[in-house]
Amino acid sequence: MNTRTEAVMGTLVSIRVVGSGEEVDFAVERAFDWFQEIEERCSRFDPDSELMQLCGQPGKPVVASSILYEAVGFALTVAEETGGAFDPTVGYRMERRGFNKEHRSGETVRSAHVAADGASYRDVELDPRRQTITLHRPLTLDLGAVAKGLAVDAAVRELKPFRDFSIDAGGDLYLGGRNAAGELWSVGIRHPRRDNELIDTLRVSNQAVCTSGDYQKRSPDGGHHILDPRAGTSANSVASATVVAPIAMLADALATAIFVMGPKDGLRLLAEMEVEGLVITPELERFETRGLRRAA
Amino acid sequence: MAQRGSNKKVANGLVALGSAAVMAVYAAGYTRTRSAADGFNRSEGQAAERRPGIPPPARTASPAEEFIPERAANPAPALQPNLSASAKLAPAKKEDQVAETMTAPAMAAVSSAAAPVVEAKVEPPAAAPAAPNPIAPPWKDGTWEGWGSCRHGDIQAAVVIENGRIKSATIAQCLTRYSCDIIDELLPQVAKKQSPNVDNVSGATQSADAFYYAVYDALLKAK
Repeated sequence: MNTRTEAVMGTLVSIRVVGSGEEVDFAVERAFDWFQEIEERCSRFDPDSELMQLCGQPGKPVVASSILYEAVGFALTVAEETGGAFDPTVGYRMERRGFNKEHRSGETVRSAHVAADGASYRDVELDPRRQTITLHRPLTLDLGAVAKGLAVDAAVRELKPFRDFSIDAGGDLYLGGRNAAGELWSVGIRHPRRDNELIDTLRVSNQAVCTSGDYQKRSPDGGHHILDPRAGTSANSVASATVVAPIAMLADALATAIFVMGPKDGLRLLAEMEVEGLVITPELERFETRGLRRAA
Repeated sequence: MAQRGSNKKVANGLVALGSAAVMAVYAAGYTRTRSAADGFNRSEGQAAERRPGIPPPARTASPAEEFIPERAANPAPALQPNLSASAKLAPAKKEDQVAETMTAPAMAAVSSAAAPVVEAKVEPPAAAPAAPNPIAPPWKDGTWEGWGSCRHGDIQAAVVIENGRIKSATIAQCLTRYSCDIIDELLPQVAKKQSPNVDNVSGATQSADAFYYAVYDALLKAK
């Protein structure tokens, strides 16, 4: 068993591979490199990131790297599929509510440009032929959930040949194959109200598990960090939303979306997408998809 | 305006789409991993380029096929004409083909059925505008301290770097409203197994956030 932990993307990332050897070490090295690279391109907190450079040039098509292009493209698709419950253009409003600390330096950052109020994902256009992104209004894209998920998924590609491994990006997980005991991986779902307690345990294999909770990252005004893009205030009918999906990028984005949509609409969406999930309300009521407990 | 026209929910389309996007990103590769790949090549005494997977010892017959789950591939293949091709192309053996096909933006290939599929497209040279230091300097050895805060108070972390890697991260000072004992209990959760009963825990704690930030702060100084 080989475990390595590094601080990247505003959290600690741990990669565990069942097995060892030089090939494992190099694969883990490359997996971490993906986190670094994707953070550098997609960070909202770094004015020099490719993402923020793009945000500084509204109105004109900007050629994007594959990482940025695919991340934005996927985020827009999820935005459309969720009717805007997930919207990567909430960046500027997030800043104004105080989520503007650079994770590494603690410095407060501000977008140099002013976002047009009412901007939404519909103001972003992709040109697949030229691989360009055009922002039709001044806005700040927030790829937080999608970028972290994409990094996990890219890391999965590096580790897949070893079959049995786990990636933990600050509570966003991907579990490949089986654990060291040869069993399905067990994943605890953090209790949204009690620190250090689990509210549930799932058994999974070859799946990503992402949980959005209102216990993470409170803003100074007491609201939590998931914004309902349709209203501008924090969503509040869900305390914790967990999505189990084959792709971390999707699990992460949908966890954010159903947090905003509420338990009923959220679960209906998951059923349509054929992914599994668990929603806990502030009253600790549970809602889950039918296939959640089915062994992976 | 977003490109995708259909308002219909594409059942499982997002899984397929996400897979394709990850494949496109992965296949395009990037400069940074060269450092690791070079290390690998040096030790192997060969000079292969890092691209769709330097094939490590394959323990599974076709790792890439596993990546796209069966149920994503089966229903509604008509929606994603290129996806099944993508999935099959993935094994690293057909490296040329992979590189050619995969660098075309997956979003285009998968989502706009009506639009003509893009020609094999090489990463535009202008695509790397913001990569000031492609190879990150390793952290300097030593013990580095940093501060982080949450609404419970401030935490100072001490990070020990050995041979350019994080050897350990501990709490140096704990100025929170709760006793350090409570925080201490969090510590093993941060880097290691997060609960005695499970392999992993999904969802982060805000208490741990302050510690994360403190570790960041410390690592900045180690650069």
